[in-house]
Amino acid sequence: MTRAGTLSRRLTQQNVALALLLLLVGVLVLGPLLVLVRTSFAPAGTAPLETTVVTLDNYRAMLASPDTLVLLRNTLVYAVGSVTIAVALATAVAWLTERTDMPGQVLVRILMFSWMAVPPLVLGFGWILLINPGQGLLNVWARAWFGATDAPFTLYSMWTLIVITALAAVPTAFVMVSGLLRNIDPQLEQAGKVLGGSAWSVVRRITLPLLTPGILSVVIYMFMAVVQTFDLPLIIGLTARIPVLSTRVYLLSSPDRGIPNYGLSSTFGIFLLLLASLLMWGYLHATRVGERFRVVTGKGFRPRRLVLGPWRWPALGGVMLYFLVMLMPLLMLFWASLFPVYRTPSLDLLAGASFASYAKAIGSSMVQRAALNTVLLVVLSGTIVMALAALVGWFSVRGGRRIGRIVDILSFAPTAIPPVVMVVAILLLYLRTPLYGTIAILVIGHVSIYLAFGARTMVAAIMQIHKELGDAALTSGASWLTSMRRITLPLVWPHMLNGWLWVVAHSARDLTIPLTLMTASNMVIASALWMMWDFPDLPGAAALSMLLVLGSLLLVVPLQIVAGRATAAPG
Amino acid sequence: MLTVESIRKRFAGAEDAPAALDGVSFHVAPGDFFTLLGPSGCGKTTTLQCIAGLEAPDSGRITMGGDVVFCSERRIAVPANRRNLGMVFQSYAIWPHMTVHENVAFPLVHGMRKAASGEVGPRVRRALERVKLDALADRPAPLLSGGQQQRVALARALVHEPRLLLLDEPLSNLDAKLRDQMRVELRQLVKSLGITTVFVTHDQTEAMAMSDRVALMRQGRVVQLGSPRDLFLKPASAFAADFMGRTNMIRGRLVQAGPPAAIATPLGLIGSDGAPGLPAGAEVFAVVRPQAVTVLPDDAPADGLANVFRGRVIAQVFLGDVVEADLAVGEGSLRVLLSPYREAPVGAALTVEIPPAHCVVVPAEER
Ligand SMILES: Nc1ncnc2c1ncn2[C@@H]1O[C@H](COP(=O)(O)OP(=O)(O)OP(=O)(O)O)[C@@H](O)[C@H]1O
Ligand SMILES: [Mg+2]
Repeated sequence: MTRAGTLSRRLTQQNVALALLLLLVGVLVLGPLLVLVRTSFAPAGTAPLETTVVTLDNYRAMLASPDTLVLLRNTLVYAVGSVTIAVALATAVAWLTERTDMPGQVLVRILMFSWMAVPPLVLGFGWILLINPGQGLLNVWARAWFGATDAPFTLYSMWTLIVITALAAVPTAFVMVSGLLRNIDPQLEQAGKVLGGSAWSVVRRITLPLLTPGILSVVIYMFMAVVQTFDLPLIIGLTARIPVLSTRVYLLSSPDRGIPNYGLSSTFGIFLLLLASLLMWGYLHATRVGERFRVVTGKGFRPRRLVLGPWRWPALGGVMLYFLVMLMPLLMLFWASLFPVYRTPSLDLLAGASFASYAKAIGSSMVQRAALNTVLLVVLSGTIVMALAALVGWFSVRGGRRIGRIVDILSFAPTAIPPVVMVVAILLLYLRTPLYGTIAILVIGHVSIYLAFGARTMVAAIMQIHKELGDAALTSGASWLTSMRRITLPLVWPHMLNGWLWVVAHSARDLTIPLTLMTASNMVIASALWMMWDFPDLPGAAALSMLLVLGSLLLVVPLQIVAGRATAAPG
Repeated sequence: MLTVESIRKRFAGAEDAPAALDGVSFHVAPGDFFTLLGPSGCGKTTTLQCIAGLEAPDSGRITMGGDVVFCSERRIAVPANRRNLGMVFQSYAIWPHMTVHENVAFPLVHGMRKAASGEVGPRVRRALERVKLDALADRPAPLLSGGQQQRVALARALVHEPRLLLLDEPLSNLDAKLRDQMRVELRQLVKSLGITTVFVTHDQTEAMAMSDRVALMRQGRVVQLGSPRDLFLKPASAFAADFMGRTNMIRGRLVQAGPPAAIATPLGLIGSDGAPGLPAGAEVFAVVRPQAVTVLPDDAPADGLANVFRGRVIAQVFLGDVVEADLAVGEGSLRVLLSPYREAPVGAALTVEIPPAHCVVVPAEER
């Protein structure tokens, strides 16, 4: 008994699981970071990890280049502009949906959630078809109907990039802001009303100040997300000659011509990482302030809705207009997928429409392989992320203070690492290993990037499970693993499924990782899409886009409808 | 059966707070119904969780039936699932994704001492019969009432015949009537099985009604250990006297250390048989339970007799089974119990006696 006791103190299932978790997450997160730092100090022209020289050349080059200031300015203008528009739009729609009697609230919520599954890449392609200077449909119509001489809509400008990014970012911001709005205690607003405030002064004096810390944290989060985005700046910003930090990191490590400059790429990556870390710090600070002001009641919650009266329908019309604008690029792509050569849409041409591009795309062996790879990638990423996240959640909530803190920090750190930086680091780390060029390396990339989200979900979920439920299994004689498998995990199953779905949707739409790590053998739909677009094979790319959107929506929408019904706010 | 030796525990993150457990020791004999009693936050649950193996003490030793299950010196810590226990939690911890049957079968199917598959059914049925729930075996757990959940938790804790049963305030979530009924049933059940039981409660009535022995806890320490009768009749401290039930705490000064002792109080001089081991001159409380005070006939002589006082009723509460009356006596007041059939309106004069044998003297510094 004594011996068994001593031994079991160290070698319990729980400790083994913890050690494995720390090792895995540590390697996933810290490994690439260390390589990135090392490479940034390596001389130009050397292969990463094959030199012992330490030099500040890259940093000097970065600081001396006049480009750097331009990059920074572009990045800031881009982020500030698109975040401002996105959060303003999202707050308006969220307020209408959560706090007024506007009809169609459940529909708006489901549409917003589902829209997160549409890849920004695809939206970008659609917008290019809509407003490029020569063939862009809106420009063509403007010329035909209003006699405009040149193109009134300019695709390749900072403003266009900002607006398109903002529109694409609205759904994410909407989900965050509507969560905030739902959690305000309506009694606080009612107190304002009882004291004689008019409806509008209550909104201004009570609702908005209560919301400020929350909105601030949403703004910082979105800012971080936009600074890190890569796909829209790549397809629109490059042609418009608007380089930002994220595209610079990518182009230095995967240039069209010439050899990659990993050293300088890493240095810019570290610069971007510092910027993101600063934002991250601001975000944590803002959410902590938010918690202090938190007025969540949870129970007996019945939001009082502002009565819009005759304005209800115009309000809904405004919201639907947004969805219409979001739908335009998709319709455009759909049109383009119907003809072997792009032609300006008109009813007369419809007779010649065919689904030949779809047949061709589905028949192509490249697409078939990419589809298989995509399924492998998203399923593996989603499953591994949620399995790790479940462990992270358990140890973070139940593992004691010190262990909880370590696990928390390790799993949350990747939020501050921009994917485009992470992927360069992964490239450097695995370039000479057999993993390079396989699907596995893409899975590693997505697991590192999406672990933070999964971990947040599972920490929140496990916090809701009473500790005694797991303890009861232990005192019944069950091992730690059995208690996890039979009690804890079945109880948090819905949250795990939700998280899994989120990761799958994001993994399917991401271009950053597959493109940077692309070889002939590990192409996925997103990278294939980029290849066809670049080739160019417009109908093929359009058809494949539609298929990708369709696939994502088929997975996400049914589950969102179920979840939307379950969580629809009363009243 | 169970020995706990000076266990200490300080929670991480509460370093500046006083220790949650500050040297708790006690022994539980085989088959005993042992109770940890104390106010909220005194460390009862923490003690129970240390016994269960769900928390590890910082130091100390815990022995169960000859096996050391925890010893800080020898670095032994047997995990909870190998201690062969049954435990009922404060929240009952009924698993909501299972039926009643699945809940109760869990220790037999997934526990350390698995039962043969043919045996599981009959044993679960027997456990459910014991708590009179056999009719509900197939019901999903969330559809149970509070009292039924408590029974399921009890059946689950007993089904694998553990060597020790731990109960953390199992009755506190029930309504008053059910609680009274379950008190009796619970004690009868564990006594008929002969299983050693450690029971946690903050309700002194519950503790007295159910226990063979009681450990009274305060701020992470056991302040008094004994039978319910001992604790009620012979409290060793002002805290114990106060916590165990209604009482008169008459502040005074010890004028004669005794035995017999004499205390100068606002009521007058009170004599006591108790030998408190305190020096003359010490500040003390004379602890007199209202039940101990004898009400003498109106015409009984009072003047000059030791421990006999004359008082006037200043307030009374009619409780049905008794009348609680406050008397003004000398410069102080005294609470006594009267028969409901006795007319004693406010202002009436009464003569009462405090038997020296039923007056306990405790030091006054803490309460
Ligand atoms: N996980 C924990 N972290 C920090 N402090 C704790 C923790 N659990 C308990 N404590 C503290 O330890 C002390 C003892 O707690 P414990 O739960 O044992 O009290 P209790 O006697 O069971 O009280 P109650 O009757 O309210 O259940 C309290 O001061 C409590 O605040
Ligand atoms: Mg407790």
